[in-house]
Amino acid sequence: MTLLWQPSSPDHVPAELVVDFDFYNVPPGVSDATQIWHDLLRKGAPPIFYTPHNGGHWVFLRYADIAEAYRNHERFSTRGAQVPPLEPFPVLQPNGVDPPEHDVFRKILAPMFTPLAVRRMTDGLQARAAAMIEAFADKGACDFVRDYAAKFPTSTFLELFGLPQERLPEFLRLSDTFFRSNDAEVRAANVQEIYAVLEELFRSRQAHPGNDIASTVVQARDAQGEPFPWEDIINCGFLLFVAGLGTVTNTMAYVWRYLATTPEARAYFRANIDDQPAFLNGLEELMRINGVSNLYRRATHDFEYKGIQFRRNDRVVLPNNVGNRDAAVFENPQAIDLARKINNHVTFGVGPHRCIGSHLAKREIMISMQEWLKRIPEFALDPEQTDGSVFGGPVMGFTSLRLTW
Amino acid sequence: MKVIANLNVCQGHARCEDICPEFFATDAIEGKVVIANPEVPAQLEEKVRLAVRNCPEGALRIARSGQRSEGGSDAA
Repeated sequence: MTLLWQPSSPDHVPAELVVDFDFYNVPPGVSDATQIWHDLLRKGAPPIFYTPHNGGHWVFLRYADIAEAYRNHERFSTRGAQVPPLEPFPVLQPNGVDPPEHDVFRKILAPMFTPLAVRRMTDGLQARAAAMIEAFADKGACDFVRDYAAKFPTSTFLELFGLPQERLPEFLRLSDTFFRSNDAEVRAANVQEIYAVLEELFRSRQAHPGNDIASTVVQARDAQGEPFPWEDIINCGFLLFVAGLGTVTNTMAYVWRYLATTPEARAYFRANIDDQPAFLNGLEELMRINGVSNLYRRATHDFEYKGIQFRRNDRVVLPNNVGNRDAAVFENPQAIDLARKINNHVTFGVGPHRCIGSHLAKREIMISMQEWLKRIPEFALDPEQTDGSVFGGPVMGFTSLRLTW
Repeated sequence: MKVIANLNVCQGHARCEDICPEFFATDAIEGKVVIANPEVPAQLEEKVRLAVRNCPEGALRIARSGQRSEGGSDAA
């Protein structure tokens, strides 16, 4: 990748801040999508720069600026922040609105995702993880993405929404298309299909409420005791579908890829399999190193930040993975240290939109690692694996990860 | 030594609870930090300091015993 310092951008962007960078495009031969981001730093990109690709957007590379964009919603909004710009786009409650409006749906969802609520899911998560792993444990090989990482969070979604596990293939197909297809027509049809499924689900929970997330959301009432607009309810369901599947799948793919190539890490987690604090400390480091999301914000008005002019509707992309290796915040940031003492990573964001599912995501990954290592203590990357499975964009990952043992 | 939490800043990451569950808990409604007794037992001081430094929001701070919390937003 070469950086071209060309002024092909809006006239408020100084030429020296323009970098030729397309975060959707991972060139052949690059082993994983985070590398295109880390190359930026090696090649001397400014900490705040502008790229004309994907509709034109800013990128913040420093932890402090990423955290500022997450926290300062009066300047950097999540509403209508898609990169490239996509309109109309549904307002996904509560992520797509700013405080104080944001707090309404956030409060509806919050009790279902607290550490306490997630700890209660442990038995169910363990049983499903064990069964899924046992299906291939004696085969000596698997495609980790296809056989586990895509299935497990989707299966969790079904459980949380009170849907039968028999619908797993249908939901896998829906999420697979959503996260993998870059064909505009296929994507539009896919989104329509997801909305149709959610519409049916929420209607049925409205008529016959159960003990699940969809029932809780559909039965929620506003301050006046009225139900929320149907559109908000469905969009909230869509957000949970979008936010909880591809992110967990690809974080797991990165984690297993690392474990497959790092015997000391496998040994660390095996040795601490029942030692919750040590296991969690190592897991937190894996979260720092394997942040898969590049999140979006939109400038709400014209303002100056760090001496740079931002214009209303300018988009900003926030690469958590880069912020998590900022030497101003992390000691020896490039080293993967499972016993790291201070680890304030931004993989789940900070501020009001901090990933509401972070505790569930971490528990899904922790339990998956434990159940896996009990049954498959040693494993490696399949030497036949080609690197054509890498993809970039807002959630980076792998379409396939073949493992052998 | 005691710990003061700013609940307006806490976003419920629960890193404090992960690191020192003997001292920090989180509530069942918003998942924010709960400190039953702000006075830190001597044997937990080191772990509590580590937890405070690992708050991604900077919502926790250490105060001397006897120091009052400031403002309405602090919950000790």
